Amino acid sequence: MQQPSKMNEEELVEYFRTQMRTDPDMASAVAAIRTLLEFLRRDKGETILGLRESLKWATDCLTEVDSSVAVSSGGELFLRFISLTSLEHQDLSRCKKVMEERGELFLEKISLSRTKVAKLCHTFIKDGAKILTHSSSRVVLRVLEKAAAEKKRFTVYVTESQPDTAGKQMADALRRINVPVTVVLDAAVGYVLEKVDLVIVGAEGVVESGGIINKIGTYQMAVCSKAHNKPFYVVAESFKFVRLYPLNQQDVPDRFKYKADTLRTVSDLSDEHPMIDYTPPSLITLLFTDLGVLTPSAVSDELIKLYL
Amino acid sequence: MPGADKEADLTERIEAFLADLKRGGCGTGPIRGSGETARETTALLRKVTAQARWSSAGDLMEIIRKEGRRMTAAQPSETTVGNMVLRVLKIIREEYARSRGSSEETDQQESLHKLLTSGGLSEENFRQHFVHLKANVIEAINELLTELDGTTDNIAMQALEHIHSNEVIMTVGRSRTVEAFLKDAARKRKFHVIVAECAPFCQGHEMATNLSKASIETTVIADAAIFAVMSRVNKVIIGTQTVLANGGLRAVNGTHTVALAARHHSTPLIVCAPMFKLSPQFPNEEDTFHKFVSPHEVLPFTEGEILSKVNVHCPVFDYVPPELITLFISNIGGNAPSYIYRLMSELYHPEDHDL
Repeated sequence: MQQPSKMNEEELVEYFRTQMRTDPDMASAVAAIRTLLEFLRRDKGETILGLRESLKWATDCLTEVDSSVAVSSGGELFLRFISLTSLEHQDLSRCKKVMEERGELFLEKISLSRTKVAKLCHTFIKDGAKILTHSSSRVVLRVLEKAAAEKKRFTVYVTESQPDTAGKQMADALRRINVPVTVVLDAAVGYVLEKVDLVIVGAEGVVESGGIINKIGTYQMAVCSKAHNKPFYVVAESFKFVRLYPLNQQDVPDRFKYKADTLRTVSDLSDEHPMIDYTPPSLITLLFTDLGVLTPSAVSDELIKLYL
Repeated sequence: MPGADKEADLTERIEAFLADLKRGGCGTGPIRGSGETARETTALLRKVTAQARWSSAGDLMEIIRKEGRRMTAAQPSETTVGNMVLRVLKIIREEYARSRGSSEETDQQESLHKLLTSGGLSEENFRQHFVHLKANVIEAINELLTELDGTTDNIAMQALEHIHSNEVIMTVGRSRTVEAFLKDAARKRKFHVIVAECAPFCQGHEMATNLSKASIETTVIADAAIFAVMSRVNKVIIGTQTVLANGGLRAVNGTHTVALAARHHSTPLIVCAPMFKLSPQFPNEEDTFHKFVSPHEVLPFTEGEILSKVNVHCPVFDYVPPELITLFISNIGGNAPSYIYRLMSELYHPEDHDL
């Protein structure tokens, strides 16, 4: 029986792109982990160190395609997963088998994480609530779908979120489930906040301090909601936790701020518009994750438990 | 038959407790303090463990959950009942894990680590039978009862670290914990206490009487004077009915006013709350959060003419957000509000949070 050959860069990228295409609902981190698992299956390495090296190389290839924080955190999590498993079994072939089994199980569990988050969060949406959200987040959409399914009546304001007007996609998805939705300009956040009861956003990455990295405009929304005393809730799955500790906007690495193509082609990044920003934990009320409802101070605890 | 008698006795006690819960906790002050409620609940749960028929830990947890649901339904605002049920459930899980020989801590909480390393979607179903489980659980519940007995003393012991001579302390309404706290400090230090009377139930009056009997200089002020007096206050020490999972409080009405006034003057706000008041609820469920009692305290029925033209409300509780609180003093020491999540994960198991 012929073993499938080791994946090279093109196959890797192609596999990743196919994953994202076949299931548009899948988080990019999950697609990355799936790709890395397939890479692991086909890897021909003889040593665990060699395996780690090739996985690092594979993660770098993927970040060249999609430079978001989520892919990077997915890759790091997978590497951590390999290290933890390899500590238990010294023999490589046994190790690989255990890794493959556990990898499948891990993927199964995290496919349920959005449902868990929605279950926790929808009770915070009261009947008659007005919700503000930013850009398009599949987790927030799932939460709102669950609240609508529980027969709660609410209206949603979505920012159109330039430069890719992702907010319009969110609005279309909400109209399909018969939720009254209004698209507002990014600049209208302060104007709209007095009408709103709560703000819910997704996150591309949750950093060690308990802050989040999300589409540009989130920080603005957080500052405004603090000024208006409105609760600012973040919904994110646990695989988005990332080992960064930015203290301000400049601390966020450039490789996350701009799209992969921009990083490759442009030489002077100071002229480019960043795609993400950092929201510090002092502006966040609560984080809803599949590990439970967390206050921002509890996030670093979770990360320590993983990386100890 | 002795067996049937014991069963009847147990159900009778539970019914009496439920009736008491439904009646008690009215606006003029609870007929029983929350410490006594906690003790009664734990004693009842111990009796249930001892007398009910169960063969495995899973059955016992089901029975306790059922009784717990009935008790919390009788008086939803009395959260200590639910908290004690959760503590007992955690005790059962721990004793079961210990009997099985597996290490307790790693199996407990959901974490990223657990997601990555667990071998399978194996659900712990608590079906195994252990001979000594009953005795172990009852012993652990007895330990819990001893802990409950000592809570007020443990909190009062820390008083000398926080209260210094010639300080002016403000408090609101009446809290047995704060009373013991202040009395303990008064043995060695001289300080002045200002009590806000906390209308319309005016429990502050009773607090002031008790404090002055312990030779503490006390002043009673009206609620409207809280902000005016706050500039001369060094510390605010209050009790609470419940500590919520985000570090916020559900306390007697008027507490939010005191907290905001203290924040404005940068006065530290210290909350004395024993661990059994810590509840895994968040302040979002508006329906069960507030409790309203008869408004005749606010506007008596003798004012008949006005009554037909106005709506009168008499809420019992206030929500105080965690940003306004400086320190929590509990029987296990002092903690910041941002640390509450950690204490909660040590006391309760996440799967039990919705009874």
